[in-house]
Amino acid sequence: MIEAIEATFIQLISGIAWGQWLAAGFLLVLGIFLGTMLARSVGRLVESRTSRHHQVLIRRLVFYVIFVLFAIAALREAGFSLEVVLGAAGILTVAIGFASQTSASNIISGLFLVMERPFEIGDVIEADATIGEVVAIDLLSVKLRTPDNLYVRIPNETLIKTRVVNRSRFPIRRIDLVIGIAYAEDVERVRDLLLGLAETNPHCLEEPRPFVLVTGFGPSSVDLQFSFWVAREDFLEGKGGMMVAIKKALDGAGIEIPFPHTSVYAGSHSEPFRIQLVGSEQQQEKELPDVDNKT
Amino acid sequence: MTEQTESQREGVWAHPYQLASGQTQQHQLGHTRVWITLLDLEWQVREEKLDIHSDPLHWQETLGHTVPSADIPVQRFVRMDDQGIVRFNPAMGCRPTVIRPFQPLTIPAGGRCLLYVGTSLWMKVCVGDGQTELTEIPLAVPSMTWLGRNTMEGELCYASSTFGRLALEAVPKRPWRAVTPVTIINRREQALLLERFSLPTPLLALYRNERGQLWTPGVTVECETDMNSASLNIEQSVPACAGQCQLVAPPREKLAKGRRLVRAFDRMFG
Repeated sequence: MIEAIEATFIQLISGIAWGQWLAAGFLLVLGIFLGTMLARSVGRLVESRTSRHHQVLIRRLVFYVIFVLFAIAALREAGFSLEVVLGAAGILTVAIGFASQTSASNIISGLFLVMERPFEIGDVIEADATIGEVVAIDLLSVKLRTPDNLYVRIPNETLIKTRVVNRSRFPIRRIDLVIGIAYAEDVERVRDLLLGLAETNPHCLEEPRPFVLVTGFGPSSVDLQFSFWVAREDFLEGKGGMMVAIKKALDGAGIEIPFPHTSVYAGSHSEPFRIQLVGSEQQQEKELPDVDNKT
Repeated sequence: MTEQTESQREGVWAHPYQLASGQTQQHQLGHTRVWITLLDLEWQVREEKLDIHSDPLHWQETLGHTVPSADIPVQRFVRMDDQGIVRFNPAMGCRPTVIRPFQPLTIPAGGRCLLYVGTSLWMKVCVGDGQTELTEIPLAVPSMTWLGRNTMEGELCYASSTFGRLALEAVPKRPWRAVTPVTIINRREQALLLERFSLPTPLLALYRNERGQLWTPGVTVECETDMNSASLNIEQSVPACAGQCQLVAPPREKLAKGRRLVRAFDRMFG
């Protein structure tokens, strides 16, 4: 019995064309190796001429083309006919497509993202309540690095569906600051003071011109909007620096920045209103006055 | 630090100053004060912005053994084979500079005008005979502006603190500013209202005349059909009115072939 199994096993092993399989495996490994090497050198070649985004795209494309070519050669070597493989792949795609709708949708969304190019690698975007720098645009998802250094993965499908704000698309940005001043203050004087601050601040651009708008009369303050432009990379410094400068300048000029006031009166300090009831004497006797019965 | 007699002189661009270990050289130029200290193993560079609203006329250079207070931030550089030689080379701004005439100026159809423009310089601290650059210091606080058709297309530029002048005498000559003659030719059939224009400062070399003033080669802007199609030409040498000149600093960027039109077509006038 054991001898029979052994004989069958030996027959099975000797039946496999080891040489062909080894050659196919070698071709696959060679494909991966050559693809990586070539992608790397092409990436280096285009490094100085293109953006990081395009460089990554070109590298991926080179790698996949080389790998697919070698994979086809490997299948041939292993004795598969390409037509059969493609046919099987077609059936398999339908089956897999039904089974993994999410992945397929993400892949297609990814393709649209690459074509539409709403953002590139290195841009700071705001999507799905997350702000971060795009570190990778992959087949299924986009990876972000948030300012507090978290790695966030957002599926491509979500990016296609939701509103995405690209904060790095244009080289300059406007900062709008809302400032409330007391009703007693001279609005024109405050406007001149704020525009003077914009003129002296090195981050603030001369053009487009900064401006001050009165946006409303709030419950405890006159609300002003102070808008000025900065270079994209100076946004944080420009905003923070200007806030400090405004506080200093308004304090220096004796201009009040009011905060909501609430006055609470304790009952014992205020005399109650005097109420006199007018009506028949009977009623007066029945209903005692609530507040003051001395009158 | 021990105090020693300090000598005050007028500073000179690109002059090889010889320092001994322990010495500090102080320069007051433009709106900046700079201290260069040579120690046995390192160079120290300190810089302070001066809050002055006037235009300082002179470049004061003082040599001594006193270092400024510790509040002023210091940059340290490891010494190499430099024999204690330090040079201060001038450099034009690394971005284009937007210039305005004193009041908007109209150039009639077929007319031309010559404007003289003063732009603030940067100081490059270079050591040794090989002129190894240590750092670069702006001599006036550069203010930025945007030049373009809208807020999407355009270019970040420096805003010039001085105006373009029609008369050369009206341009204030300072050791921390360079003078550029700009010729604007209006070849259109309509008049050209000149409110502001962009001077390609990174493409300009710097020359010094015998009076110690810095000049750049002349720039010619020809406006042919509409405001956005102007062609730019930078002359090879400085104009005759500058006098006998010698080159002190090459341009930051070389004007690449084919780039000339692109730049000019892009945004010459705001």
